[in-house]
Amino acid sequence: MKVEAIQYGDRKVYTVASFNRGVADWLSRLPTIWVEGEVTELRRNPRWQSVFFTLKDPADGACLGVTIARSRFDALRLDLSDGERVHVYGRPELFEAKGDFRMRALSIERFGLGDHLAAIERLKKKLAAEGVFERKRPLPFLPRRIGLVTGNDAAAKRDVLTTITARFPAARIVVAETYVQGPFAPAAMVDALRDVAAAGEVDVIVLARGGGSFEDLLPFSDERLVRAVATCPVPVVSAVGHEQDTPLCDLAADARASTPTAAARLVVPDAHELLHRLERTRSGLARGARSVLEGRRARLTHMHERLRRAPTLAVERKRARLEHAAGRLRALSPHATLQRGYAIVRAKDEIVRSAEAVSPGEPIDVEVADGHFGARVE
Amino acid sequence: MTFEESQKELEQIVERLERGDAGLDEAITLWERGEELYKRCVGQLDAAQGKIEELVRRAESAKP
Repeated sequence: MKVEAIQYGDRKVYTVASFNRGVADWLSRLPTIWVEGEVTELRRNPRWQSVFFTLKDPADGACLGVTIARSRFDALRLDLSDGERVHVYGRPELFEAKGDFRMRALSIERFGLGDHLAAIERLKKKLAAEGVFERKRPLPFLPRRIGLVTGNDAAAKRDVLTTITARFPAARIVVAETYVQGPFAPAAMVDALRDVAAAGEVDVIVLARGGGSFEDLLPFSDERLVRAVATCPVPVVSAVGHEQDTPLCDLAADARASTPTAAARLVVPDAHELLHRLERTRSGLARGARSVLEGRRARLTHMHERLRRAPTLAVERKRARLEHAAGRLRALSPHATLQRGYAIVRAKDEIVRSAEAVSPGEPIDVEVADGHFGARVE
Repeated sequence: MTFEESQKELEQIVERLERGDAGLDEAITLWERGEELYKRCVGQLDAAQGKIEELVRRAESAKP
């Protein structure tokens, strides 16, 4: 559409109508989008072509006039009343006759608690299918530094800080304050998370926010934040809201704490208890070392006793064998026969084996078991 | 030679002697070797014990 200007010397001047026409034309090129807000000042008159209402931002009260064709509005059968949360699909428009800026709605959807829940549920299914909730890394036993991403509202931050300091006085904490509710919160928390993770020596990050309404906690189910938590290079403990709240960032985090205080207990050990346990372990250590030594010594002593006995045993065994052989040797000697009462008779140093070998009066030598004596043949 | 190696050899010697199949000269040699190993093991145990007691004493005196 052509907008003509009137030329006054070197000044270009537009009529009101052409100015409005030009702005309207420019606005009409903007895309059609969804806007969320609360319905107020709804005006519907059967004689009017359009229905009017004002869309109000519940966070800061910003207002936007909306029109929608009456036939279209009636066809939606929404039966809207003031204060209801809606999503409006439309595009910006200038009502040229009055220079009024407003939104021309094509469609309106009621967006209540149930719709929020359904949207979160859909996102949850999608992220679960991608495996976003599966990474669970163990928390460090003793982090060098602890990152804390929290709102500048006192309660949650104070709870985490005091609990950490009480349990482990030497803990070092990097705090990043950020928006934790409202439309800027998700992106701001993503940035804070990234900055803290990159701060150096940060071994664990606590994402903390105290209790709040369902809508206050919505940023913690925002896809951007949930993904940032899941891909954070440092383990994340999520401590958002109260026990019964389960924002999606709780599922993506490596650990979930029901309260900021519980999160603090997860990230640092109790120094007092730790020292106590260490002391007990140390005395157990000395006991263990001594008992190992005693076991070795007992075994060695036993071995030594056996070693001491072994050579005597060996010599005695050999002596017994010798005695046995000697016994057998003696059994075979003529001496044993003499002991049974036999005698050896010798004449002229020859053993007498026959009566005819001697003659009467001849001297003989008689050997018995214990000696010998002389005799004469009769 | 580690304590375990010494102890193992000592045990083998005792078993060999107790079986009684070694010659007399060999038995004497084995016995002498056994005594030597025993002394070595005891020395190593004494050293270890001394070290443990020293560490325990030092650790306890450094109590925070």
